Amino acid sequence: MAGNGNSLTMSEKICNTNSSAESVAPATPETELVNRVFSVESDEELKPIDPVENAKIWISDGHGAKELDGMDDDLENVNILQFFHRVDSDQIIYQTKKKRLKLIGKYVMGDLLGEGSYGKVKEMLDSESLCRRAVKIFKEKKLRRIPNGEQNVEKEISLLRKLRHQNVIRLIDELRVPEKKKLYLILEFCVGSLQVMLESAPGKKLPAKQAHCYFTQLLDGLEYLHGARVVHKDIKPGNLLLTLEEVLKISDFGVAERFNMFAKDDTCFIGQGSPAFQPPEIANGAESFPGFKFDIWSSGVTLYNVMTGQYPFEGDNIFRLFENIGKGDFTIPSEIEDPLRDLLLGMLRKNPVERFNLQQIRQHSWVNMKPPPSDYKVPIPPLKNDQWHNMTVFPYLIDYYYEDYGNGVTYDEDGNVANSEKPQYFTERELNAATDQDKQLVAEQVNGNKQANQSTSSSSIRRSGRKKRPITCMTVRNFSMCKQS
Amino acid sequence: MINFNINFNDYKIISSLGQCFEGRATVNLAKHHPSNSLVALKKFNMDKLKEDSSLVDLEIIITKQLQHPHILPYLATFVHGPEVCVVSPLMAYGSCRDLLNNHFNEGLPEQAIVIVLRDLLDALSYVHRKGYIHRAIRASHILVSSAGRACLTGFRYACPIVINGRWQKTIHSFPSSTKANLNWLSPELLEQNLIGYNEKSDIYSVGMVICELGNGSEPFAGMSSTLMLTEKVRGCTPQLLDCSTIPRDLNGDCSSGDCDISPKIIHRRFSEDSHQVTALCLNREPYDRPSAVQLLTHPIFKTIRKSLPLTDLLKPALPLSDRVALNSDDLEDMDSLNNFSNLEIFSCEWDF
Repeated sequence: MAGNGNSLTMSEKICNTNSSAESVAPATPETELVNRVFSVESDEELKPIDPVENAKIWISDGHGAKELDGMDDDLENVNILQFFHRVDSDQIIYQTKKKRLKLIGKYVMGDLLGEGSYGKVKEMLDSESLCRRAVKIFKEKKLRRIPNGEQNVEKEISLLRKLRHQNVIRLIDELRVPEKKKLYLILEFCVGSLQVMLESAPGKKLPAKQAHCYFTQLLDGLEYLHGARVVHKDIKPGNLLLTLEEVLKISDFGVAERFNMFAKDDTCFIGQGSPAFQPPEIANGAESFPGFKFDIWSSGVTLYNVMTGQYPFEGDNIFRLFENIGKGDFTIPSEIEDPLRDLLLGMLRKNPVERFNLQQIRQHSWVNMKPPPSDYKVPIPPLKNDQWHNMTVFPYLIDYYYEDYGNGVTYDEDGNVANSEKPQYFTERELNAATDQDKQLVAEQVNGNKQANQSTSSSSIRRSGRKKRPITCMTVRNFSMCKQS
Repeated sequence: MINFNINFNDYKIISSLGQCFEGRATVNLAKHHPSNSLVALKKFNMDKLKEDSSLVDLEIIITKQLQHPHILPYLATFVHGPEVCVVSPLMAYGSCRDLLNNHFNEGLPEQAIVIVLRDLLDALSYVHRKGYIHRAIRASHILVSSAGRACLTGFRYACPIVINGRWQKTIHSFPSSTKANLNWLSPELLEQNLIGYNEKSDIYSVGMVICELGNGSEPFAGMSSTLMLTEKVRGCTPQLLDCSTIPRDLNGDCSSGDCDISPKIIHRRFSEDSHQVTALCLNREPYDRPSAVQLLTHPIFKTIRKSLPLTDLLKPALPLSDRVALNSDDLEDMDSLNNFSNLEIFSCEWDF
C-alpha cells in the first residue's frame, strides 16, 4: 500500500463522490467536479461542453436514475454501508491490482514488454489511429543515478528524431510529463528481439534461411546509419527487434554516436557496448578506433551467434573475455562451411583496417546467394503464453468499458493511486465520447428499447456516480445495433 | 479516345466539388478545353501532405495499374506547382456518401444497394486477383457515374498481397493515416497481432458499407475508436436496421417516448437475402467470410436483371450534369456555376 497519506486522500475522494451521487441534493460538489472536467477538456482540445448545462444534466440524471424502478440495475443493489466498506485499505489494494485503464496523452497504456537499464518498455495503443506502439519510459530519478544517463537519453532522442529507415526503429512521439518526472518515448511496435527468439530456438540458433533474411536487413539498416554518419556501437541480437511483419529494426541508440558533418573520418573515442560484442581494439584499450568497423565486428559476432548458437569469444569474467577478444583468435564450428565461414572470418578480422567493410560484405557470395531452404522456421516466441501477441491494452479497455468502474481514481503505471488532482484525461475523454454517443444514438434513432434508452441517457451520471458503467448501452444485451455472436 | 494531356492550362476549373483526404486535397469540376468535356480534377497540395505524400504516389501508381469498368480510372496525372493533379472522369452522382448525406439520410433503397454492391464486389474481386487489399472500402470511396455505374476509388490505403515476389498468406502491416477509415476496418486488421489478415478483411468492410448504405450511417459512427475496437474484437456484429432488427418492448412498440426512430426505419423491411449477405460479410472469423467472387454468386444479385436502373432508383438525386443544365444553359457562365457551389448543391465529401 502506498502509505497513509494516499489512502486518506482516496477515502476522502470516495466520500465526496459518493455523497454527491448518492444523495442527489448537493449540487456544489458536482458543479466543482464539472468545472474540473471542463478545464481538462479544453486542455485536450475536445469539444467544450458548457459546464452549467452539463451539471444540470447530471443532477437530473441523478433523479432519473432513482426513478428507474424495477430495472435490473446495479445502482439499486448498493447500500451505503457496503459502499463505505470499500474504503477499507485491503479493498484498495485489491482494486489497484485490477487492470485499470491509464492514458498518457492520447495513448492507452498496456503491459510490460521488456525492461532495460534505463527503464521499462511497455505497449501502448494510439487511441486515435488505433495503431500499436511501444513506449520507453524514462524516470528522471533513475537516470540521475546512471553516469551520463540524462545526456545519453537526450542524445538518443535527438538521433532518433533524424533517422528514418525501414530497418531502424522509428521514434513516433515523445511526451514529457514534468509532474511525474517521466519521459515517454513512443516507438514503433515490435514483437520481440532476435535474442528472445534465439533463446527459444533449438540449439539457440536460427536456420540459415532465416538468419540470412535478418542479416541482410541488418546490412540495409547499417548502410543507412553509416551513410547518415551514425555509429551504433551496440549491435547485438538483443537490440535487433522484429515487427509483426518480421521486419528487422535496429534499436537502442543509447551509446550511438553521430559524427560531425565535417569530421575527417569515423574515429571514435568512447565505446560502451556489450562486452561480448566489442572488437579487439576496444578490448586492447585503444584510445581511438574506427567507428564503422566497430559495428562490422559486432555484426560479425551477431551473425556468428545467430548461426552457431555460440559466441566466438567467451570468458568467465570481463577481463578474461577481453583478453580473448584482444588476442583475436577464435574457432568456427566445422559445420559452418564456406562461403559463410569466409564471411565470418572477414568480418571478425582483428585488424580493423583489414576487416571487411559494408561494400565487401554486400558483395560477398553468402550475402548474395539464395539461402538453402530449411524445413523449419523459428517462430516469434510467445509473450506471456500468448503466441499471437495480442494487444495487451485490450484487457484494460475491457475493464474500462464493461466492468464496474472505480471512483474516477487514476492509477499510475505501478498501480498506485495517483494524485486525484491530476487531470484525469481518460474519464473526460470518454465522458465526451459517451455524450456524443448518446446524441448519436438518439439522432440515429437506433434504440427502440426503453431500458436500453434509459441506460444510455443516464450513462453520464454513471461516470460520476459510484457504480460506473461508462457506456452502459453497450453491455446491455439488447443493444440493438449489435448482436453478440 | 480523347487524349487527356498533362498540361494544366488545358483544364479550366469551373467550380469546387469538395474536399478529400482529410481536407488536404480538393476536387474540382473542370473543363478539358481540347475535347470540350467535363472532368473531375483532384489537386493534392504536397506541401500540406508532408509525410502522407507517399500515399498519393501509391494511389496513383496502383490506380494506374488497375483497369476495370468499376474502378475509377485516372485519365491524366501531372504536377502543377506545389500540387499533384489527377484527372478522372466526372462521376456525376458523386460518392455514395454524398447520396446518403443529401438525399437518403435513412439509407438508400434496397435495390440500389444491391446494384452498388454488385459493382463494388466486381471491382473488389478484380483488385484481389491483382494482388491488392483495398483497406478503405467505404461509401465515400464508391462513386456513381451519370449512367448509374458505381466505381471504386481511394487506393491510397491499399497494400500489396505480393511481397518479394511471393503471394503472402497473411498481411500484418497497419495502414498509415487511416483514422477516417477505422470504423470500416475488420477486427483482425485492427487487432494487429501475429495472426494477421488477408483480403477477407475487405469483405468485412463491404459488410460495413452495406450497413452504411442501408442505415444512412456506418455502424459505430460517433463512437470513440477504442470502444469501437473492443466492440469489434468482442464479436459485435452490426446489422441493417429494419423492423426485424430493431428491438421492440412488450407493447410491440419500436421506440420509447423520447427516442423517436423514424417510422420509415421501423416499418421498412430488408429482404432476408440482404440480411444474410450482411451477416456473411461481417462474420468475425475471416475464413468463414465468402470471397468477393463467391459473394457474387449469391441469389440476391439475380434480382438486378428485373430491377430499375440505378439512376431511376436514385431519384430524386440528380447527376451533376443535369443539375448544371437545369440551372444554366451555358456552361461557360461561371457566375451561375459558382452560385451553385455556394448553394451547397454539391457541397459534399468527394473523398476519392
